[in-house]
Amino acid sequence: MKRCAKCSQKAVVYLPHHRLALCKVHYLEWFERRVERTIKEFRMFSREDRVLVAVSGGKDSLSLWHALHKLGYQADGLYINLGIGEYSKLSEEKAKKFAQGLGRTLHVIRLKDLVEDIPTLKEIEKRPACSVCGNLKRYYMNKSAKELGFSVIATGHNLDDESATLMGNVLSWNLGYLQRQYPVLKEGNGFVKKVKPLCLITEKESALYALLSNIDFVEEECPYSVGASSIEHKLLLSQIEEKSPGTKLRFYLEFLRKVQPLLRQEEKLELKPCSICGEPTSADVCSVCRLKQRLTLSEKG
Amino acid sequence: MKLRVQYRGKELELEFEGDKVKAKDLLKAINLSREYAFVVVNGEVVEEDYYIKEGDQVRVINAISGG
Repeated sequence: MKRCAKCSQKAVVYLPHHRLALCKVHYLEWFERRVERTIKEFRMFSREDRVLVAVSGGKDSLSLWHALHKLGYQADGLYINLGIGEYSKLSEEKAKKFAQGLGRTLHVIRLKDLVEDIPTLKEIEKRPACSVCGNLKRYYMNKSAKELGFSVIATGHNLDDESATLMGNVLSWNLGYLQRQYPVLKEGNGFVKKVKPLCLITEKESALYALLSNIDFVEEECPYSVGASSIEHKLLLSQIEEKSPGTKLRFYLEFLRKVQPLLRQEEKLELKPCSICGEPTSADVCSVCRLKQRLTLSEKG
Repeated sequence: MKLRVQYRGKELELEFEGDKVKAKDLLKAINLSREYAFVVVNGEVVEEDYYIKEGDQVRVINAISGG
């Protein structure tokens, strides 16, 4: 039986890449300290900022919101209902229940009211559902944060998300995406500051934090994420990690330290307001307004 | 030995040879790695070598999500 490195009580969590065994109390403390250190190291926000947490009802976003609240940050939530049947119904219920328990505000918007739900869009778009969904979530997160007066948007992206995305971008040498892969995206050009305070926390660590904090999160997977390349990349990286603990963290941190500074020097993306909605875009009309135009055409057709 | 396991909002019924099942055997049976999954027995996170008994409340958490 492993013992907690802090108090010698029975350990409930063992983190091989940190060679650290911890009891429940000290694990929750470790997690929150790591989130706090990440926020400070990357200068994400301060206690004076109003932070809008993008909440899906899953373990990452709820753990993030919980930790930020415990650390004394002013964090409210934004839930975007995607209109994906029972999955969306359940996740909205859990997000609302969690917000109530926390005593913070959860803002709720529905894609069906703003554009169309994901199942309908999936039928008319050639892109994978995850691509359409991600595009719309980013757009409405930014728009909502501005309308509601938040200075920062925090998402629950974790180390596994970031290292899998990095792997995907490296495999195709997608320099545009690599340039923008950083845990802080500054405000400006119509964008609210976006941060990822869980970027150094693994998916398992996040699930353990949720479980040990008695957070009721959605365990079901989005039905449209089956076969997503991000899951394949995560499984591949987990095989390497099992044999060589610390690989994911090293892969991501060394990218941020050694490669990102070189790529950011090259970044010169000209943004302007969309001629229809005014949100920032590199084209005359932004991707969401173009999607709405295609939707109108398909309804007429 | 038969085990009822809560997994991603569903209940799985799994059958094992013998009357001793370790948490790691359960993960293996569902084709999951300890790298991203863990077992909760009667509300407690358990180590890989923990023996699960018939009648225990068992939950498996798979932390991988995607999209």
